[in-house]
Amino acid sequence: MNDSALWLVLHKMKVPFLAIVISYTISIVGLLLIDGVDSYGNIYHMSIFDAFYFVTYTASTIGFGEYPFEFTYQQRLWVSAMIYVSVVSWFYAIGTLISLLQDKLFISQIKQYRFKKQIGKLKQKFIIVLGYNYITSEIIKIINDSDFRVVVIENDKDKVDNLILENFTPHVPVLRANSYDSQNLELSGVKSMFCKALVTLYKDDELNLRIAVAAKMLNSNIIIAAKSTTKNHTENLKDLDVEIVENPFKIIASQINLALMAPNILKLERWIYQIGKLNDSLPTLPQGRYIICGFGRFGQEIYKVFKANNIKAVFIEIKKTKKRANKDIIFGNSDDKHILKDAGIDKSVAIIAGTQDDTTNISILRTAKKLNKDIVTIARENHIEDFSIFKNADIDEIFMPSKILINKTTNALIKPSADKFIKYMRTQDEKWGQSLVKKLVQDIDENPSIYLLHLVEKRAIAILNKLKTTTLKLSIFKTSLSNNNLANNIIVLMIYNSSTKKEIVLPPWDTNIEKDDKILFACDDYSINEIEYIANNVFELHYAMTGQEKRYLSFKF
Amino acid sequence: MNIDKVIAGFFIILAMTVNFGFFYGDMGDMELHSKYELFAAIIVNIIATLLKLGDRTQMGSVLLATSLVAVIQLVIAASVWTIFGYETISREVFGIVVSLSGGALLANITSVMLYVSETVKSKR
Repeated sequence: MNDSALWLVLHKMKVPFLAIVISYTISIVGLLLIDGVDSYGNIYHMSIFDAFYFVTYTASTIGFGEYPFEFTYQQRLWVSAMIYVSVVSWFYAIGTLISLLQDKLFISQIKQYRFKKQIGKLKQKFIIVLGYNYITSEIIKIINDSDFRVVVIENDKDKVDNLILENFTPHVPVLRANSYDSQNLELSGVKSMFCKALVTLYKDDELNLRIAVAAKMLNSNIIIAAKSTTKNHTENLKDLDVEIVENPFKIIASQINLALMAPNILKLERWIYQIGKLNDSLPTLPQGRYIICGFGRFGQEIYKVFKANNIKAVFIEIKKTKKRANKDIIFGNSDDKHILKDAGIDKSVAIIAGTQDDTTNISILRTAKKLNKDIVTIARENHIEDFSIFKNADIDEIFMPSKILINKTTNALIKPSADKFIKYMRTQDEKWGQSLVKKLVQDIDENPSIYLLHLVEKRAIAILNKLKTTTLKLSIFKTSLSNNNLANNIIVLMIYNSSTKKEIVLPPWDTNIEKDDKILFACDDYSINEIEYIANNVFELHYAMTGQEKRYLSFKF
Repeated sequence: MNIDKVIAGFFIILAMTVNFGFFYGDMGDMELHSKYELFAAIIVNIIATLLKLGDRTQMGSVLLATSLVAVIQLVIAASVWTIFGYETISREVFGIVVSLSGGALLANITSVMLYVSETVKSKR
């Protein structure tokens, strides 16, 4: 009883159908009873089929004429009465059917049914993305490029239309419904064995939490990526075993922290996220006194970072009601010259404009630049649409929560190994980062590709077969296939084994490789090709190991 | 008492009785099977089917299925009669018509049994 659209039709058509049946019956019975006259003047009674045939074409206003003989006056009297009843009931039924086809409920039922069918046909790993906006559309594009498919739930009709117009390939099924309804989550395939993850990045933390709870109840095996900007919600999400909890403000704060303490690591991170290259200028922030405009969620995260690093900072906040967390906070409009002067703009080295309003942020930095020519300006950009304004505003550093959110989410979902590497990187110091950057640029180039090889049957059949009989060293992947004495430009960032939980960062070349290893390479595009050959082609693997061509046939006599 | 249930019950049982009325009698004797009775059986069966529409419960679905079986069998019987025996009808064709209505009668009996058993179970 799943196809409720059909039931809706049947239910609504019940009365019109009854009207047709009854009016036809009355008409037919009347025609059967009334005496007719045939062409010879004998008394003639219509047969049931004759009467049915006559009523059918009369009621639908086809009107073939009197049948089978010319009618008598009694018959005509009856027919004129019957036409009013049967034609009206006929149009009543047709009208109901047509209005039903235009009925919103009916249409949404049909759409829901189609969506359900699409989900049922999806025999590939997929990720459910809730809500459609700039951030999620970018996420969808990145996920679509990988092995995963995407399913979207969106409530707003315009946004759904936008998504359809975007014409994603492969096709992205979209359901127009409330995403916080667990029934809709179920409809979108949360319970399916192919569903791997759910992304909920709504502005409203409460909503994200609610969705996370519902999704975890329905299927505890899926990975949930949720956004949370407050401590309370983050803790709740963690209690639910939500794997990926993202706080854009915290991310920015930690990036500012990196920029202060270890700019090379930030550079590496940006490279992995593909928002920067390794030869970009170092994203350093000056040491000294800071002014931060806004002490909301963003400001508070920065406050923590600065406090931990013992950096002197003054906060300016417009709302007096906010809790006084430290004594270096001035209440007032940060766009006001006098307030900025009070905050000591001429003594400060940098100003961070971190309010919710993009225009205010730009305006603050303009004023600040006028008051102190040498000040370093750092802005928080909230809306991606304001990109061009920010680009032309001559701001030294721009932090964009939405962009970071896109990269963080997709990395965590489809490139978990890269995410692991970033986590490890964060624990290292500037020196480590500097040497790695140097090594990468020297050995490969300024923008190496990241390639992950998972040693499983599907991805590395040749290697796996070889591993059954012998051991292989990591250096096998470095061998050039044109000359096995030469090496390709490859650096192995990490080996991670999911079954033994063994994790080696920057492993030496003589490390033994094992089944199920996930190897994260940094290399050029040419080397990716060769790595794939070595992993999958027995002949190439043989050459890489021995430097000799493998015989095509080996006879065992 | 619910007027809807009275009407539904009336038509479901009438569908069976009228159907029986047509079916009852010697199979080969054409005078014992009136075409008007077949016509009435079809109409009443269609109405009974329509009244069962839109009930999404398990019982409602089974009831609808039985009625559909009866209607289809009766309509086929009438069609056979019209096509093969419009002027004169052979014993063979007439046998088909009557036995088809017999099948419909079985479906109608099932329908009535289900309907009654549901009523017996119901506490209201």
